[in-house]
Amino acid sequence: MASPVLADKPAVTPLPGRRRRPGSGRRDHVIGWLLIAPAVIYFVIFLLYPALAALYYSFTDWNLRSAPNWVGPANYFDLLFDDVRYPHFWKSIRVTLQYTLIAVPLTLVTALAQALLINTIRRGSNLFRLLLFLPVVTAEAAVGAIWRWLYDPQYGLVNSFLGLFGIPGQNWLNTPELVIPALSFIAAWQCGISMIIYLAGLKGIPDSIREAAIIDGAGPVQRFRRIVVPMLRPTTFYLLVTGVIAALQVFGLVYVIFSGGGGRSVTGGPEQSGLTYVLHLYLFAFRYDAMGAACAMSFILFLFIMIITALQFRFVKQEAS
Amino acid sequence: MIRRVTGAAAGMALLAGLVACGGDNGTASEATTLTYWMFQDRTPQAGEVVEKLRTDFEKANNVTVKIVKIPKDDYNTKLGSAVAAGTVPDVGILDQPLVARYALDGTVSEMPAGTVDEKTYYAGALNTNKVNDKIYGLPLDHTAVALFHNKKLVPTPPKTWDELKQTAAKVHQDDPKIAGMVVPKGDGYGGWMWPGFLAGAGGSLVDEKDKKILFDQQPGVDALQLWVDLLPSSPRAITDSDKAFENGLAGMMISGPWDVANIKEQFPDLEFGTAPLPYKTEPAGNIGGENAVVFSKGKNPELAWKWLTFLTNADNNTALAQALGGFPTNVAAAERDAATFGPDQAAFLEQLKVAHARPALPEWIQINDEIIAPAIESALSGKVTSQQALTEAATKTRALLGWNG
Repeated sequence: MASPVLADKPAVTPLPGRRRRPGSGRRDHVIGWLLIAPAVIYFVIFLLYPALAALYYSFTDWNLRSAPNWVGPANYFDLLFDDVRYPHFWKSIRVTLQYTLIAVPLTLVTALAQALLINTIRRGSNLFRLLLFLPVVTAEAAVGAIWRWLYDPQYGLVNSFLGLFGIPGQNWLNTPELVIPALSFIAAWQCGISMIIYLAGLKGIPDSIREAAIIDGAGPVQRFRRIVVPMLRPTTFYLLVTGVIAALQVFGLVYVIFSGGGGRSVTGGPEQSGLTYVLHLYLFAFRYDAMGAACAMSFILFLFIMIITALQFRFVKQEAS
Repeated sequence: MIRRVTGAAAGMALLAGLVACGGDNGTASEATTLTYWMFQDRTPQAGEVVEKLRTDFEKANNVTVKIVKIPKDDYNTKLGSAVAAGTVPDVGILDQPLVARYALDGTVSEMPAGTVDEKTYYAGALNTNKVNDKIYGLPLDHTAVALFHNKKLVPTPPKTWDELKQTAAKVHQDDPKIAGMVVPKGDGYGGWMWPGFLAGAGGSLVDEKDKKILFDQQPGVDALQLWVDLLPSSPRAITDSDKAFENGLAGMMISGPWDVANIKEQFPDLEFGTAPLPYKTEPAGNIGGENAVVFSKGKNPELAWKWLTFLTNADNNTALAQALGGFPTNVAAAERDAATFGPDQAAFLEQLKVAHARPALPEWIQINDEIIAPAIESALSGKVTSQQALTEAATKTRALLGWNG
């Protein structure tokens, strides 16, 4: 029952056919707002306000200490065109694009391969799923330490393994050309989440289709090409879009791989070959005293990600067929 | 991790907004509490030293000292956020190259005249607190790098650059699987060590008074060329291995006193010694360490300076500096206790006598990381000559600083 005071008022006549009592709308409204208030407050305080503040700071010369001075779009222009103040800005973009182009496909292929294997085996699939998922939940600092050791030019297991095939050992993390492939490989090793999502996608393919294909005489390769890949297309699309967004923002991995601990400065590996966009941003925000420019960098990245994502929605097939 | 960065930035922006509504709520009872920020203790023993100093000071002055310990890797980020939000401590540690920045924009206060006698401290260490000849902090400890040598491979450490090159060549010639020396890299850390070599050839990085870049002159070129010349006898494929020197894969390396304890603990079988850095024309070295400053927006500035003079006085400075992993900056303390530091530390003490501070320019960290380090790397990788690399770096530095010379 709505409150009698409001119900007595004749001015509001309920519309016929709708069982809506006068006044209850506003009250539902209040309750609704109360229910979502925690989420809204969280969103406004921790996401919306900081984002707007960062947008404002991107038009200032703020260094975290002095009062910010309005400089208009100068930060944006300087980042793009002033190679005295930002000598490695474009380099960081190239590094990040290179990483994205290698890491994302490699991750998708690895994840799909792992999902197919787990989907095939009858026993112990839980165990293998757990093992393959472990790299995702491992602390990033530990991942860095392990891989620095695996890639060690003297004792590293990666070189020992390649040696079995007669491939000479490489100095992975100290050769500029090899840094991005080496980092991408680590990313592919951490593909557990994509693997789980692919696994769910595989379970969603009806057995009847597979059985019909077998009756029609389709071999495993044909079934994979003609059924699995097309049926997984929505999954692949989702993983591609989120994977590209994550790869463009890669930071933790390069930070731990090249920091070596002990408070040493991270300048992005040999010849800045591992200086990713967000690492570059971080250095300007917290090491080189240019929070204003760093905020501008984050909005350039935001725009770039938005455009790339829109292009993917426009040009990549998303529907299962 | 990206979340952490954006999270930190977000939190900071938030605090910056909120603090405007805060206002000053200093009360009488807080007048006797001093907040001090420092790095996380290196060892439990170091923590005990700090704790004892704290209680001694509290008793002597009838005040409370609240110590906040922050991991070294996060310290500058946290401090920057606190400054942005106006929640600075009263007094705290500040990295040497940050003093100029924080002093020039008024974040930290100048030391009141008469607080200390300048002669109490080693000039090299005190100078890292000076900006335009004014003092903005006190040196808690100081440190330098020196030459580590594997006694089996290099029984007598080289004294000059020529001897260094010969020694490295001999080590590698005797066993091609062993490198002569771990040659520093063109990264921020190598950029911090290189000036020690440059000064060993009689050079300087810059002339701040006349606004001139000097690191591209002959001493700088020679210092960089020395590293380049060492590479054939010290292949990266060997020295890039984790702990190459500690594992006996390199005859020499350059590092600081903190590694003496590390190596003894983790590689007890390695017989090694330390020696001053080889030089060309004069003994020289770099300097690092921890300074402490008083924040302009903090409370109780007088008590804060008193705390810093307490930490750096002749009675306390040795214990504190050793807890921090460096050497006392107080001359009386150092001279009294030098004999107790042990033979491995003598080389570092020699280095500190000839230490050269980094230029007190707010842009120096960026110049070191983004200009000098890549220049070193491009010469080491053989892409350009040492002279070309440094000439180009000097041009970039001039453009960034707006200097003509």
